[in-house]
Amino acid sequence: MMHRIILVREWDAQLAASGCCGRLGGENTELGDTETFAANRSEMEAMGEVYRALRAELFDEDVEITVVDPRNMVWLVPALLKDARRRGLNLREIWSQLRRGISYTSIVVDGKVLFNGRIPPVEDAVAAVKKELEISEPDPAVV
Amino acid sequence: MPAVVVAILVFVAFFLGYRFYSKYLAEKVYALDKSKPTPAHEFEDGVDYVPTNKHVLFGHHFTSVAGAAPIVGPAIAVFWGWVPALLWVVLGTIFAAGVHDFGALVISVRNRAQNIGTLASSVINARARTLFLLIIFFLLTLVNAVFAVVIANLFIAFPGSVIPIFLEIPLAIFIGQYIYRRRTSALIPSLIGVALLYLSILLGQAFPIDLSPIASAIGLDARMLWIILLFAYTFVASRIPVWVLLQPRDYINSHQLFIALGVIFLGVLIGFDRIVAPAIASVPEGSPHWFPFLFITIACGAISGFHSLVSSGTTSKQLDNEEDARYVGYFGSVGEGSLALGSILAATAGLGAYTVWQERYADFNTASSGAVGNFVEGVGHFANNLGVPLGIATIFAAVVVVSFAATTMDTGVRLQRYIIQEIGEIVRFRLLARNLTLAAALAVVIPLGLALYPDLAFGRLWRLFGTTNQLTAGLALAVVAVWVFTRNRNPLAQIVPLVFLLAMTTWALFIQLGDFFRAGDYLLVAIDGVIFVLTLWLIIEAIGAFQRARSERAASGTDGGTTGA
Repeated sequence: MMHRIILVREWDAQLAASGCCGRLGGENTELGDTETFAANRSEMEAMGEVYRALRAELFDEDVEITVVDPRNMVWLVPALLKDARRRGLNLREIWSQLRRGISYTSIVVDGKVLFNGRIPPVEDAVAAVKKELEISEPDPAVV
Repeated sequence: MPAVVVAILVFVAFFLGYRFYSKYLAEKVYALDKSKPTPAHEFEDGVDYVPTNKHVLFGHHFTSVAGAAPIVGPAIAVFWGWVPALLWVVLGTIFAAGVHDFGALVISVRNRAQNIGTLASSVINARARTLFLLIIFFLLTLVNAVFAVVIANLFIAFPGSVIPIFLEIPLAIFIGQYIYRRRTSALIPSLIGVALLYLSILLGQAFPIDLSPIASAIGLDARMLWIILLFAYTFVASRIPVWVLLQPRDYINSHQLFIALGVIFLGVLIGFDRIVAPAIASVPEGSPHWFPFLFITIACGAISGFHSLVSSGTTSKQLDNEEDARYVGYFGSVGEGSLALGSILAATAGLGAYTVWQERYADFNTASSGAVGNFVEGVGHFANNLGVPLGIATIFAAVVVVSFAATTMDTGVRLQRYIIQEIGEIVRFRLLARNLTLAAALAVVIPLGLALYPDLAFGRLWRLFGTTNQLTAGLALAVVAVWVFTRNRNPLAQIVPLVFLLAMTTWALFIQLGDFFRAGDYLLVAIDGVIFVLTLWLIIEAIGAFQRARSERAASGTDGGTTGA
């Protein structure tokens, strides 16, 4: 079974409906500096550490890690709904996961929100994700 | 003809363009290779370089490129009739914008995700980077001036939109503080924000704000006063941290973009309105001729140079594999074309009757100054088809356009500040390069002066904006064409739109130069003249780059080096 881990955090310079000026002005274009999106950069870097650790730990697992901006709700809402439904959650639980998943920062594994609001220490994030993956893996003895 | 039939035909054309032409580009021109590691994998750090699902990346890319610009140009251009405007949007999207956006993304991916300015300097020559900065400087000056006028006109035409727009500011700040400080769910606050914004339309409708009495008391007209207030706002907004206002407002805008698209196309479908505008309009004597002016009046929506900046630099750092560039880059331009289609339908089918349309598009000045208002009324009509009372629906449409235009101004002034500092570095004017307040003041004062220029018809300002946007696209197309040529592949897909764009831009600039001179608009003569020189400079650099590439290709035999960058 393919697992999906979604890391939610803002991209710097990502602006919707800005008439082509979105995605400009951060570090990645010639039209910006490092200070403007400093707050985003620190979150991006902290989540980047979690991302790299998960990549290293789960390199042989059937896992897809996606980093997404919380404002990309057109993708994020259906993705969280789909994963939560696949997990077999009831409507109330789905709503709870959806609400918590779409936040400033969150880590979601197969539709279940493990952390939201703050990026956890890397070790905690990796341990929680691994634990969650073990739980959601079907028991080979039963299968 | 029913608008819905036109919409379906255009979507079919876009589908065919994506299905066949982008496939040709992907296989024969850009020679995409799924197995070739992209910068997202090569430099993967989970921060900037992140292999990203193509649908996620499309969401990030499309929402950034969409905005008010693909609304304004098409709403003006239907002055020549809906068929020429629609044809340029459709053909431009398929054969120019798609090639341009897709190409800029591919070349950036093949060059360690560098941005188009850096690529221009490495593919063409070092002077091209200075040219790039100068074009962007003029582009941003005109963007900021144009959108200040757009917002001012909308505030005057739809005074009910003033209160919602001003309430959006504290609403966005509150959402930002709530989300960032409490680090809680963004879904509910952003939905509540959108709901409160739309609820405030009732307040706006009950208390429309008209600045005319205050303006006349201080010897100004209402439009001038609004423009001054808007630039005062952007000066302050460009100095405060982005997380205070700019980014939180985005949580509202990201919903608004899709709500607006949904309202337009659902309204067209349910209302089954007919296009009342003539297919090809007979325009009054002395009006600008559609050839070449149509091609600079609609820039965004047919082809926009800004997209090369968005494609390179950031989007290219997240591309999972080369084949995804087709979907993200080409389809992104199709998304923008769809917004332009919505604008054409609103300004031709949303106005109700031919007599109304005829009155609104009586001459070019009336058409251009009222174009956004016509779009707003059209969208209001489509929303009315969905059961929203017309008065509220119209203010809703005005709020959407002003929200987008205000975000463009906020970001445009910020970007312009950097460009001015960068130019200060190049000319070694330290005060300009280091003093943020001076750079921000110039970023505001220059477009402010332009927007307040006496008796300036909006259509003239818009055409100048169109020429600079097409020039940016020309620079990016030249870079992509040279790159394709040096890879021993056929660059005709880039050269045809490049030559066409540069010919139309040069021709239009030349005609305008005479028009502005005869009208005594010497400021516009100067700006038009400078843009004309930049265009000639670009043409010379592009020809020179091709000649060098040709010599190199001849010297190295048939192997132009299809590997690496």
